[in-house]
Amino acid sequence: MNDRQKDLFQKFAALASLLALTMVFSVVSSSFLSVGNAMTVALQVTSIAYLGIGATCVIITGGIDLSVGAILALSGVVAALSVRAGVPVPLAMLAGLLVGALCGVINGLCVTVLRLPPFIATLGMMLVARGVALQITDAKAVGGLGDSFAELGNGSLWRIAKIGDDGFPDVVFPGIPYPVLLMVSLAIAVAVLLRRTGLGRHLYAVGSNAEAARLSGVNVRGVTLFAYVLSGTLAGLTGCVLMSRLVTAQPSEGLMYELDAIAAAVIGGTSLSGGVGTISGTLIGAFVIGILRNGLNMGGVSAFVQQIIIGLVILLTVWIDQMRHRR
Amino acid sequence: MSANPVPSAVAAGSLPLLALRGVTKRFVGVLALDGVHFDLRPGEVHAVCGENGAGKSTLMKVMSGIYQPDAGTIEHHGQACHFASPHAAERAGVVMIHQELNLVPHLSVAENIYLAREPKRGWFIDRTRLRRDAQACLARLDVAISPDVPVRSLSVAQQQMVEIAKALSINAEVLIMDEPTSSLTESETSQLFKVIHELRRAGVGIVYISHRLDEMAGIVDRVTVLRDGRHIRTMDFADTTVDEIVSLMVGRSLDDKFPPRTRKPTDEVMLSVRDLRRKEVFGPLGFELKRGEVLGFAGLMGAGRTEVARAVFGADPVDGGSVTLEGRELHIRSPIDAIRHGIAYLSEDRKGQGLAVEMTVAQNLTLANLAAVCGRGGFIRFDDEAKTARRYIEQLDIRTPGPHQIARLLSGGNQQKVVIGKWLFRQSRVIFFDEPTRGIDVGAKYAIYQLLDKLAAEGIGVVLISSELPEILGLTDRVAVFHEGQLMRVLQTKDTTQEEIMHYASGRNGTGGATSIAEGGIDTQAARGMDSIPT
Repeated sequence: MNDRQKDLFQKFAALASLLALTMVFSVVSSSFLSVGNAMTVALQVTSIAYLGIGATCVIITGGIDLSVGAILALSGVVAALSVRAGVPVPLAMLAGLLVGALCGVINGLCVTVLRLPPFIATLGMMLVARGVALQITDAKAVGGLGDSFAELGNGSLWRIAKIGDDGFPDVVFPGIPYPVLLMVSLAIAVAVLLRRTGLGRHLYAVGSNAEAARLSGVNVRGVTLFAYVLSGTLAGLTGCVLMSRLVTAQPSEGLMYELDAIAAAVIGGTSLSGGVGTISGTLIGAFVIGILRNGLNMGGVSAFVQQIIIGLVILLTVWIDQMRHRR
Repeated sequence: MSANPVPSAVAAGSLPLLALRGVTKRFVGVLALDGVHFDLRPGEVHAVCGENGAGKSTLMKVMSGIYQPDAGTIEHHGQACHFASPHAAERAGVVMIHQELNLVPHLSVAENIYLAREPKRGWFIDRTRLRRDAQACLARLDVAISPDVPVRSLSVAQQQMVEIAKALSINAEVLIMDEPTSSLTESETSQLFKVIHELRRAGVGIVYISHRLDEMAGIVDRVTVLRDGRHIRTMDFADTTVDEIVSLMVGRSLDDKFPPRTRKPTDEVMLSVRDLRRKEVFGPLGFELKRGEVLGFAGLMGAGRTEVARAVFGADPVDGGSVTLEGRELHIRSPIDAIRHGIAYLSEDRKGQGLAVEMTVAQNLTLANLAAVCGRGGFIRFDDEAKTARRYIEQLDIRTPGPHQIARLLSGGNQQKVVIGKWLFRQSRVIFFDEPTRGIDVGAKYAIYQLLDKLAAEGIGVVLISSELPEILGLTDRVAVFHEGQLMRVLQTKDTTQEEIMHYASGRNGTGGATSIAEGGIDTQAARGMDSIPT
């Protein structure tokens, strides 16, 4: 096999395990394979997917972003507090996004200008952002946000329902939830960015060999900064969507989400040493994690055992990846 | 140092410590060693000479267990043996001291000497014994290094001594030294030679690889010449001359080694650099590059040639100076600026700084000029990219299965052509080639030489940085000779010799004794570059 075929093999291996999981769970649980549950899974996966898309870009440059779980909490809380202060919902969410972007800028500057190792820079940000989120809310949930705040996370497109004889709505088609639409469009946009634009090519070049990229005229600092800003902004978006779904802003939300995001990227074939990774792979990784959780939940497996299984899956996929590179 | 080595303690002719018989080693597409014979007697210093790519390092690696031969045998004290790993070779007393030293910078000298072999008392390291034993090893070498200081605080020469002490600590009877003097000063070199004499007297056999043939007199007993992976001749050093060794190494006259010149140097100045300086690194210095010529940068390692090229290219900061390209003064603060103005730099460290090894040939070729294969909206057009890649693959005769091959999988010569192709596609007007043929086999070298000539003939400015003097003499029209960050002199290649270049490269001044670079007549011109030339 040449490298191209190996990459395909790797991708199909992940895809095949995804299909295998789906089949196993459909047999085990009759309600698993239904449009309703598919939408539920898709909805649950959105958070991992948004964060995973950002994580993929950062990891492709050879970096890592540990702060996204904390940033999403801070962004969500800021959006919620803004709504409570009387700011219109769209503007409040924009504020949440900007907070995420700002955190990303700080991460990126720490890495490029102060030359801190990405692990340390984003570890610091993780603590700071979480601390700020807890401080400004007194560690309490922010509620009473109103229906319009809930729209982004709970609304859906093409929802078909008719009023039944009993007067309650009878759902014909649950619709495509906005978060899922957002996930699909983001994935397409970033995949095109990575594959077809100069900026995307430069992200790979920086991760493959930063010095060679610099000597080829790539703006290494700018490209690296972009990756962290994108990751931060997507974390901000995740925060807004998640808090909207819950219609409450929890400063402790998103704990350890950064690890899910990194795991999704890694399961999807992104190399932690940089230069390698795709959005399609990361989406597959996110769905592997999401379906595992959902299926195991429906099968009545405890949350603790779920953790064990997901941990083992990560070890297995990365091991397969290593084998591929050693050959 | 005496011209003839002191006879060693052990008589010549006794059973060799190590003998290689008909050793062959093949890599993908390259026959690195072809039936090579080699033997090392106790108490002798045996030099291995050959050009880059002649097979010296492969031979060393076979001896020290890093590579396994594809054919042939290795005998150790007359008995056939097989070194499955460097560790197995070490157990048999065969130790290699690499050019790039293998020490752990943050550990102390003593800890490095006994790394992974620490003397233990129960579960714990016996620090007293560790220190005492290390001290004893260092004392044998008669060097003043404390066993307690961290290795990172030592000079390169001292670190080399630590490596030798480490070898002694495992009772090495065969010591393989790869270019041990390449980064040493003269006094450090003579210190090293004193140690080598001591080791010979103690019966240690030393395999000595060096490009510096001149310094071999005084320490080398026998010399083996390799060329293109084949054993050419082994002789007593006393019975030969440096000239004979060189002619055996090259094996043909310089005329066949370098392609005929098709370029016609003009007097039109393309690039002129003035008063360029960087504190404590180089300068101030200046030079000019004329259209149609190949300008050589010669000098020893660390003379500042690479640093000057990188500074012109904007890769390193400068403290002052000006760069003028085709009459226009440039303000270069980063490689991005330099590339925009048409200046390119091909790094000496191809894998470290030249090539994105995990990316494809096509992606590497277009990396410096992506905009040229982007369509409307800034999207890369893959068919344009592949077409471009195919064009350069054909033009430069890059051996690759196709444009989508991962660059890592190409041979060194083809990788170098990819990097060159990258700069050609960028339509560079001046290209600095920093050691473009390092680690490339002989055939690919010739192709690169042809290319340099062709580029110059097409009007692209070519600067060639090379440590190989034959390359400098065979390829350039003028040579700028550097020494410790100063441009000593610019020589006409056809009127100069290897000796004259070395003379200036080693910092000696032709016009006699005390003339300093900044004051002396003709040297001022060279060092200041343009001052006397009307614009």
